[in-house]
Amino acid sequence: MNTQQTPIIEMKNIEKHFGRVIALAGVSVEIHPGECHCLLGDNGAGKSTFIKTMSGVHKPTQGEIFFEGKPMHFENPRDAIEAGIATVHQHLAMIPLMSVSRNFFMGNEPERRFGPMKLFDHDYANQVTMEEMRKMGINLRGPDQAVGTLSGGERQTVAIARAVHFGAKVLILDEPTSALGVRQTANVLATIDKVRKQGVSVVFITHNVRHALAVGDRFTVLNRGKTLGTAVRGEITPEELQDMMAGGQEMVALEGSLGGTV
Amino acid sequence: MTSLVKNLVLAATVVAAPLMGASVASADGEKYILVSHAPDSDSWWNTIKNGIALAGEQMGVEVEYRNPPTGDLADMARIIEQASASGPNGIITTLADADILSGPIQSAIDSGVDVIIMNTGDPEKARELGALMYVGQPEYDAGYAAGLRAKGDGIGSFLCVNHYIVQPSSQERCQGFADGLGIDLGDQMIDAGQDPAEIKNRVLAYLSANPETDAVLTLGPTSADPTLLALEENGMAGDIYFGTFDLGGEIVKGIKSGVIQWGIDQQPFLQAYLPVVVMTNYHRYGVLPGNNINSGPGFVTADGLGKIEEFAGEYR
Amino acid sequence: MAQAIPPAEQSDERVKDISSFRKALIRPELGGIVGTMAVFTFFLLFAFDSGMFNSQGVMNWSIVSAQFMIIAVGACLLMIAGEFDLSVGSMIGFAGMIIAIFTVTLGWPAWMSIFMTFIICIAIGGLNGWIVIRTGLPSFIVTLAFLFILRGFTIFLPQVIERKTIIGGIKDASEGDWLAGMFGGKIFGGLFTWLGDIGAIATFERGSRIGEPVVDGIPMLIIWAIGLVIFGHILLTKTKFGNWIFAAGGDAEAARNSGVPVSRVKIMMFMFSAFCATVFAVCQVMEFGSAGADRGLLKEFEAIIAVVIGGALLTGGYGSVLGAALGALIFGVVQQGLFFAGVESSLFRVFLGVILLFAVILNTYIRRIITGER
Repeated sequence: MNTQQTPIIEMKNIEKHFGRVIALAGVSVEIHPGECHCLLGDNGAGKSTFIKTMSGVHKPTQGEIFFEGKPMHFENPRDAIEAGIATVHQHLAMIPLMSVSRNFFMGNEPERRFGPMKLFDHDYANQVTMEEMRKMGINLRGPDQAVGTLSGGERQTVAIARAVHFGAKVLILDEPTSALGVRQTANVLATIDKVRKQGVSVVFITHNVRHALAVGDRFTVLNRGKTLGTAVRGEITPEELQDMMAGGQEMVALEGSLGGTV
Repeated sequence: MTSLVKNLVLAATVVAAPLMGASVASADGEKYILVSHAPDSDSWWNTIKNGIALAGEQMGVEVEYRNPPTGDLADMARIIEQASASGPNGIITTLADADILSGPIQSAIDSGVDVIIMNTGDPEKARELGALMYVGQPEYDAGYAAGLRAKGDGIGSFLCVNHYIVQPSSQERCQGFADGLGIDLGDQMIDAGQDPAEIKNRVLAYLSANPETDAVLTLGPTSADPTLLALEENGMAGDIYFGTFDLGGEIVKGIKSGVIQWGIDQQPFLQAYLPVVVMTNYHRYGVLPGNNINSGPGFVTADGLGKIEEFAGEYR
Repeated sequence: MAQAIPPAEQSDERVKDISSFRKALIRPELGGIVGTMAVFTFFLLFAFDSGMFNSQGVMNWSIVSAQFMIIAVGACLLMIAGEFDLSVGSMIGFAGMIIAIFTVTLGWPAWMSIFMTFIICIAIGGLNGWIVIRTGLPSFIVTLAFLFILRGFTIFLPQVIERKTIIGGIKDASEGDWLAGMFGGKIFGGLFTWLGDIGAIATFERGSRIGEPVVDGIPMLIIWAIGLVIFGHILLTKTKFGNWIFAAGGDAEAARNSGVPVSRVKIMMFMFSAFCATVFAVCQVMEFGSAGADRGLLKEFEAIIAVVIGGALLTGGYGSVLGAALGALIFGVVQQGLFFAGVESSLFRVFLGVILLFAVILNTYIRRIITGER
């Protein structure tokens, strides 16, 4: 991790208001190339609004966003995707009724000419899909296997592999592990590690401190629409992170009664 | 694999099962098919069904009744084509719309099937197509006759409750009535729909908006029965002049109690019964009446309701 | 949710191996294929000598099936894109009526009337889609509104303009028109004359057409049906746009996140559904020469039924155009075949209901195998 180089994304004092509701009240984060940046926060802390601002869904009410050092103004998610910011949503990444290969190339279908017509190049799509899946350690029965037959972790992995294949420089993962079992979580975390090693920045949103510490390089905690600072791996303990997320007070008392298991 | 095949076989069997019992053994005699234009919901055609059943029984022939379920005349054209392909001795059909139906009827006649036009249509068209004859009541003439009668009773305005607006012959009845009265039809015809509650409420709405209306004309039991209820509800029953086409159980009661002045009986029984008899005799002995048969119109009033009451909805 | 299953590299050991035969068999059209075979077996057994399989009979159920196919293709693609169009039947009546008004009342040449009708109807289809997308209302409700609106105009316009509910005389007005011939004409007439001459098919016994074959060509209606099925099938399975249709219906939000222009796809499918309804209407009007206010009643449900028999999922994202075409074939053959078999016609709906129910059960079973739904 190299803190000297230009951050790939820099967000300065981002504010986002929805009518009278202030969802973000001045958030600043820097994402560096090839790092796994964990964004922690409890439900309602503003994580979703924040990543939607980063991925071009919302425009900030105030504050600036720099992408590779230049100010950026994304009109819609499509612009962000083209720039190389890909978002993998918690539940909305894959379409279960469609085959893995059709999902993989959804919105980026390869085409070949057939006389005057352009057809979906299924052979190419199938071949690439099988190859990419094998790289991620998923053995498909065939490229026409429906996503619905995959486990939750495998679906996340397909979504991540898809984003990387299509040239994502920054990968935003919205709670990829929240609904998964232990082994599937491990698979997803392993995938994140593989992706980071390819030089892709990962923004990993979670409220699970242990998942964050397993793969994160730096950690930013959001609470009630504000950042409580960014910490580097090794400089912070799980307990400190947990406290920051919860706002510091109640958790201490709770933790005592729950025997330190939260 | 085996479980899949088993499932498929099972499914196929179950789908086929109810069909098995349905195939009918053909009778020995001639086979005739009656094709109507009426949707399934039109109860008036029950008399027709009873008529052909009785004629079939008496003559020893097989007669089938077919109709487009929704009353779509394009579907009816297909049914006539289908009837003709199944090779009957004769087809009895209505000519609800000559544009659509003359093609299929012509093809049936040309491929050797005899055709009698019944109920809707007119004698000229029937002759043009080469049908054996026409059995029925010319609609416009019937409406016109009714209009003249109502004019004699001092009627100057009316409401035509049309429950079958897409059927041109319904409109001819209203138009004939208006012409008989010597007035313009204008807005006096309403599209009542087929649902009894809707018909009733539309009649109520029209009459409260136009309280000076002299008369109500309904086109059959489908519109007459709810109209009777509507008149009872707004107190116009017995006061407003009420005439109707066709007969039915409630209409007969209405005529008896004086709420309805007259009903125009086109005697559907004859329209169904006679073509079967005529065709059978034609095919067996080569005899054929020389003219079309007018089954109506006949005005039914409170006098002489005995037989009508007894067989209303069944044969009358 | 938490499964603790050991070694990491065998993540697929719980996926059963599937034989290639079974894999070839398990496809969205399977229900339609099985149903078609069952229906034909049944009618070959019970109605073989009833005229159902002579040239006139075959043409009869083919035409009826082709009619269903034309609207089923539109309904199928729209349903896969996650929407319904209940205005199809009314659109058929409406399209026919405005062609009649243009050609007969206004005296336009037939090609111009047909052209304008397509433009107007496709625009209405687009409006349907636009309202659905903009308001976020279920398409069920929006198109239900258009079912009434269009039917209302179909009854109102001819009454106001011509003082009747059926406008005829279109055949004479469109005589010899090149575009009208593409909808109402017949092709391969020579072949059928020859077949009639050698006695392969029956000929008329009397009247003005004596000696001519009873079936004198393939109606353009059937050509349109086959063409639309092929077009729909290629569009859906072999193109980028087809992938978008599946995606839009499978999960509109996920598709949008992946950069699929979901709104555009859906609106275009509404327009295509309107296009199919208009093709149906033009073929009917040009064949019969008249337009009536009752044309196309309940056809929207017949289209949806054919599509569902063909294996499409009512909630979208899954289905097959070939399946829908087979569904239409089953529907047409059963509807006409019951007459041939001499079944009491009021029982038609009973059979329809039974077939629909079993098709849906079978299709659900097949779909679960394919997609792993639970």
